[in-house]
Order: sequence, then C-alpha cells, then structure tokens
Amino acid sequence: MKGGTYILKCALFIIAQAVIWNCCNFTQYLTVTFLPAIILGMPVRQRPVLSMAIAFAAGLAADFLCGAPLGLSSAALVPAALVRRGTIRLVFGNEILVARREELSANRQGWMKMAMATAMLTMLFLAVYIAIDSAGTRPLWMDAVKFAASAAVSIPLSLPIADTLCTDADSRWK
Amino acid sequence: MPRKRGSTNAITSAAAFILLEVAALAMLGSSSTMKDIWFNRASMRVNAFLWGAAENMRNHFRLETQNDSLAALNAALEARLRQYELREAGMEEKSHEVFLNDQRFRYIPATVVRMGRGTAHNYVIVNKGQEDGIRPQSGIITSDGVVGIISAVGRRYSYGLTLMNPNVTISTRIGQAGVDAPLRWDGRDSNTAVAGDIPPHYDIAPGDTVRTSGFSSIFPAGIPIGTTQDSRLVNGSSRQVDVRLFQDFRSIHYVTIVENLDSDEILALEKNATSGES
Repeated sequence: MKGGTYILKCALFIIAQAVIWNCCNFTQYLTVTFLPAIILGMPVRQRPVLSMAIAFAAGLAADFLCGAPLGLSSAALVPAALVRRGTIRLVFGNEILVARREELSANRQGWMKMAMATAMLTMLFLAVYIAIDSAGTRPLWMDAVKFAASAAVSIPLSLPIADTLCTDADSRWK
Repeated sequence: MPRKRGSTNAITSAAAFILLEVAALAMLGSSSTMKDIWFNRASMRVNAFLWGAAENMRNHFRLETQNDSLAALNAALEARLRQYELREAGMEEKSHEVFLNDQRFRYIPATVVRMGRGTAHNYVIVNKGQEDGIRPQSGIITSDGVVGIISAVGRRYSYGLTLMNPNVTISTRIGQAGVDAPLRWDGRDSNTAVAGDIPPHYDIAPGDTVRTSGFSSIFPAGIPIGTTQDSRLVNGSSRQVDVRLFQDFRSIHYVTIVENLDSDEILALEKNATSGES
C-alpha cells in the first residue's frame, strides 16, 4: 500500500518539479529542486539497488519533461539514492531500520532530524548536479554561489515534501 | 552468513551504482548528438505540447508590450529606410546591404514555443519544422541580434541551442578594426558573452559594435550582436573582451530562422577537402 501511494505522490512531485524548472527561471545562480526529497521519502527498507533504479528513472523523467540534457538529473540523483540508507542510519539511528521497522516521520522522529537528512541528500544532489551542469564552462566561485543559493531555497522547500512522502498514517505510533 | 550477505549486497549496490552513473553520464555526454534520435524528438514534442500552451498564455499578457516593441521597431525601420534613401552608401552601409540583399540566405519567421533560460545548457523550441523547410544548422535571429542555432528538426517543431549554451560559438567581427573573434556565452548573465582569441596587439575600445563575420555558413555577415566592454590579456598570448548583448533573452517571442541555401554545397566541399587530406 505504501509503495503504491509513494509512486503516485512521486509522479506528482516529478511533474511539479518539471513545472518549476520550466516556468520559474529565476536566475542562473539558482536551481530549485526537491528531487532528493523524493528519494528520502521512499519506504525505509527499500533495497539500495531498487532505490537507485527509481532515482535514475525519476531523474530521467524530470529531464525529459523539462527539456534538460538527458541524464543530468539521473547522474546527480543516483548518488543520493546510494547514500540514502547510510544517511537514515546516521541521522535517525540504526533501530529505525532494524528494530522498530517503522517509516520516517517528522512528527515521530523530529523535524530537526528530518531537516538534517533532507539537507544532506539535497546538498549531495546539488553538488553533483551543479558540477556536471557547469563542467568546464563556469568558474568555481559561480558554482559555489549557485550551490549556496540553491541549497538555501531547496532544503526548506524539500522538508514538507519529504515529510509528505514519508508519513505513513497507518503506523503513526508504535 | 549475515556478513557474507552484507558484502554481497554492498557489491551489488556498487555495481548498480557504477552501471547507472555510467549510463547517465553516457546519455549526457552524447546529448547534443542524441537530440536527433527518437527519444529526444519525443521529449521535444512533449515539451512543445506541454509548455507551449503555458507560454502562449504568458505571451497573451505580454501583447501590449509586444505591440509597443513592434511599433518601436516599425518606426526604427522606417527611419532606417529613409536614412538609406538619403545617405550615400558608406562602408558600413555597404556591409549591411550585403546582409539585407544576400540571396544566399532564406528567412523564415517563427514563434518561440519554449525557451530554457535557467541552466547552463539553454535551448529554444520554435514552431517551425521540416514541413516548413527548416534544416539543422540554420541560424536563429531577431531584430536585436543572434539567438542561437537549430540543432534538431522535427516535423512541426525545431530544437535549437541558444547563445546561452557553452556548445554554441559564433564567428564575429569587432568594431572598426574588423578583428575576427569567436564569441561564446560567459555562463554568468543572460546579456553578456565573451569574444576571445584576439591577437594581443589589437586594442579593443569599449562601445565598439560586434557583428557576425559571415565566415560560418550559418549566419550572414553584419548582424549586430552587442557592444564591447572591458578587455583583458589571457595568458599573455591573446586578448578577451566582454560583450554586452543587444538581445534580451528574457523577452523573446518572435524569431527568424536563417537558412543558408548554399550550405549543402559548402558542407560537401568541406567533406571532400577533409577526405582528400586524409
């Protein structure tokens, strides 16, 4: 059930991401993204190989819908999917994956932890995305400014989205 | 046993990661040539369909501004026509007449359906395609200057790379001195570019007009692109000059596709020359 709901929400958020990338061209120094939140919101015990496959497909779909060079978002999203379980283990503790077997929720585990996990994945995504996007064409300071501005906007935006994708109403309190 | 399973999982994850990253980077690396394959054509069609409607709606609210700019353009053209009638043909006018009367080029008006502006690899989709006689490697211009180059053509739409894309380089001629220099986007703002590879002994004055040189088979000579700003020496061996573009990429709606009618012959000549050398 969680998987079906996740896929539906995931598809909606990918479309929303495509709309933002297409319609909101703010400046060269800003990339607004919440794709990493989609990766964080996967069922907690999802196998890494499947997570990476979903990340690859989600990135490809986003690039396809917004006319970006195909493979750009996928190349940045797959590393985020690779480190997802490690990030969850680091931020939320090992028991969430092994002992309690519950899904992530900002209400249960706290907004601080959720923000930290979202920030880590978003920053990894942005670092890879910006580095590949501007490879050999822009100076490092421009990438650094873009990274800082994009992270400052994307992380607060990703937080409620990650929580929406993570929250499992059926097992809210165990 | 669990440790063995753990290491197997780690190896599988690492293998999947490498495979997917290589696949993504390979797609990305060949994205400029891939623009002509079916997947990208499908992407182009989907983008034109999805975002064309939104762009049209947005343009509807810009009509007043568009009308004003068209009226201003009309007035400027009338003034220029009168100027041409009255003035003797000087050197500058002569070069411009070459552009206006150049029978080697065909001009096809088109409307921008979609335009990417926020990334390092920006593009434009226009509402003219094979059915309208558009071919790859045609230029895209407006009355304000150069917009980009068509890179893939579908049945009804064409996909082009804008000047705001590092893969686009335009051959230009700077100012009165007539120095030729390749111009490309600096990756910073939508209204600045850089002309490089200028011999260091040339002194480029700020405010000189930069025009297309006509050396490539894509654009006719004499299309104004922008004005020069600061210049500097690079590695002591060449000079680089900042160029402020006339074209405002944030408000492009109507463009003109420029097709060189002799491009097939030129390309065939180049191909023969290359194969003859090897």
